Formats: sequence, C-alpha cells, structure tokens
Amino acid sequence: MISAVIIVLREVLEGVLLICMLMASACAMGHRLRWLPPALIMGFAGALAYGLFLEPISMLFDGLGQEISSAVILLTTALALVVYSGMLAANATHAGSSGPASGVLLVCVTATTLSLLREGAEIYLYVYGYGVQAGQMASVLAGGTIGAGIGLSLGTFLYYGLRALSRKACLWASAAIAMMTGAAQVMQSTYNLEQADLLPSMQALWDSSVLVAESSPAGEILQAAIGYEATPTAVQLGLYAASLLLSLMAMLLGRLYAGKRRERKA
Amino acid sequence: MTRSERSRAEPGRRWLVALLLACSAGSGAVAQTPEVEIQIREHLFYPAEVRIPANTKVKLVIRNLDATPEEFESYELNREKVIVGNSQGIVFIGPLAPGEYPFFGEFNPRTAQGKVIVE
Repeated sequence: MISAVIIVLREVLEGVLLICMLMASACAMGHRLRWLPPALIMGFAGALAYGLFLEPISMLFDGLGQEISSAVILLTTALALVVYSGMLAANATHAGSSGPASGVLLVCVTATTLSLLREGAEIYLYVYGYGVQAGQMASVLAGGTIGAGIGLSLGTFLYYGLRALSRKACLWASAAIAMMTGAAQVMQSTYNLEQADLLPSMQALWDSSVLVAESSPAGEILQAAIGYEATPTAVQLGLYAASLLLSLMAMLLGRLYAGKRRERKA
Repeated sequence: MTRSERSRAEPGRRWLVALLLACSAGSGAVAQTPEVEIQIREHLFYPAEVRIPANTKVKLVIRNLDATPEEFESYELNREKVIVGNSQGIVFIGPLAPGEYPFFGEFNPRTAQGKVIVE
C-alpha cells in the first residue's frame, strides 16, 4: 500500500501544483473558472486514451514513441507556461492587460489538459495493472486515495495561499511559479530526449545528491516545483537556463506592453 | 519497414521523422551501439546487475514478460520508461563514468531492484 501512496503522490504532485497556480492566478486576473471542467474532462479522457494506447505509441519511431510524445507534451506545456508568465506580468502591471480572455483560457486549458494527460496515464496503467489484473484493488485504491489526498491538500494550501495575497503579489508569485515549473518541464523533456538518444548524454557537471537526494521527499518536491536535478549535464543546464530566460523575456514584454496601455489611458 | 518507407506511408509525420533523422545523424552511428537485454519476470529484473564499459553509450532492451506493466526508473541514470505487460522498451544510457547506478521498477519498488555497474 505504501508504494501505491508514493506512486500516486509522485504523479499528482506536479499537476496539482500547476493547476492550483493556474486557478488562483486566473481568478486574480478576473477570469471565472469556467475553463476548468472542460480541461479536467479532456485531461482525464486523454490520460485514459494515452494509457490504453501506450504500447502502440511506444512502438512508433523505432521504439522511441513514448519518449518523443512525452517530450512534445512537456515542451508544449513549458511553452504555454512561458506565455502565461508574460500574461501574468502584464496583468500585474496594469489590470486587464493580459490580452484577450480567450488567450488566457487557451493557455490554462492546454497546460491543465497536458499535465493531467501525461501523469494520469501512468496512474491508470498502475491502477489497472495492479488493481484489476493483479487483483490488489483494495490496497491500490486505499494507497492511491491517500496519495492523491496528500497531493490535493498541498494544492489547496497553495491555492488559498496565493489567493490570500494581494492581487499584484498573487500574480507575481504565480508568474514565478509558472517560470519555475516551465523550466522543470523542460528539464524533464531533456531526460526523455537523452533516453531516446536524440540529445547527447554527457558527464554530469556536479553531484549534489549528498545535499538533497532526488529520491528524498525534499528532492521529489524540488523536482516537481523547480526541476531539481542532482547531477545536471551542460546541455540540461543550458536548456533549463534558456527556459528561464524565455519566461523572463515574456514577463518583461508583458510589463512593457501593460505600461504603455496604462500611459495611454492616463 | 525502414524509416523512409514509413515516412512515405505516413506523410503527416514526415517532418517529425526528418527531425528524428537529423538529430540521430548528429549522435553517431546507432548500429554500433552495444545492446544489453534485461528481462522483467515476476516483478524482478534478470539480470539484476548489468555490467557495461565506461564512457560508452549502451542500448538497454527491457523485455517485460509479466502481464502487468512496470516502470523502469533510475534517479542516478535519469531514466524513466513505462513498459506495458508483455512488451519491450528501449532505453539508451551512457556514456557514463565508472561507478554503480541503481535502477528499480516503480510499480514494485521493494522487489524490482537492480543496478548498472560501469567499469
């Protein structure tokens, strides 16, 4: 049962943090949460389909289909988060400057759906394989519920924490979270691309696992939140830094755009 | 089916295949990469210890002979791949410095354990 707790918690943690940040910041920008139900439905349906067809998907591209599809999903989510960080910065600078509402909704739906799809597929495979096929439904369900419960509690904590801040502080904090989780997705995509031999696998530049082991609870949370890697390579660090830089540029552009709009109104 | 035949068969994916080819051309001759097979039976890895040479890229072929899915995972190798029941998956590792790199099956972490020994 303990392994079910850990498996489900590890999978939901990243998605829950991301979705709760999107919910809190979309509310702070004055959007209602109408985008959430369709995004959840598409995410769960997508997870089911991805899990059911994982074997044929894996066999695409000479057996590298799983890595390539994961990398595409991760990089698309990261791109959505870069755009979102720019929208948040614009709105924090001058209310209502985050562009058309449909743009914000599209980004929220994309990021939510894709993160649920990837993580949910693994949970589906685990629950089906061990709950149904191996007949351990009681312990899988009990453990999974506890794991999901811990994940959702952390998400609720983040959501109300962000909502308790002032509008501006909530938006800037969310922009920072969008930037860091986006970089974490880029970091994860590098593992997939290296695993498929599409990016060169290189010697690690350092090993910080003595300080924080990736397998420790702190390491897991850091990995979900900021893409912590104990033994990064130069390629990984470069792409991670490029992702942070892109988000910072998006935020700067958002700020400049909103500043101009404010001047015109004044 | 070769890659070129497949790209003719599925024109919608042609660009992705082209990207794939461009990337793998840069990473050297794939055909010379040594292969190591690992089997998963009854939620255990066989062999549980895989010895590979240092500073060499190796292609792991992981065959899951169980009916249940397993996830080959390693924090040290930064690898994570779901292998559905009765199927196989490819994972490239290395070039690596000498040392031990543990891996485990995420769905059976207590029993499914192994390590790559680089020497």
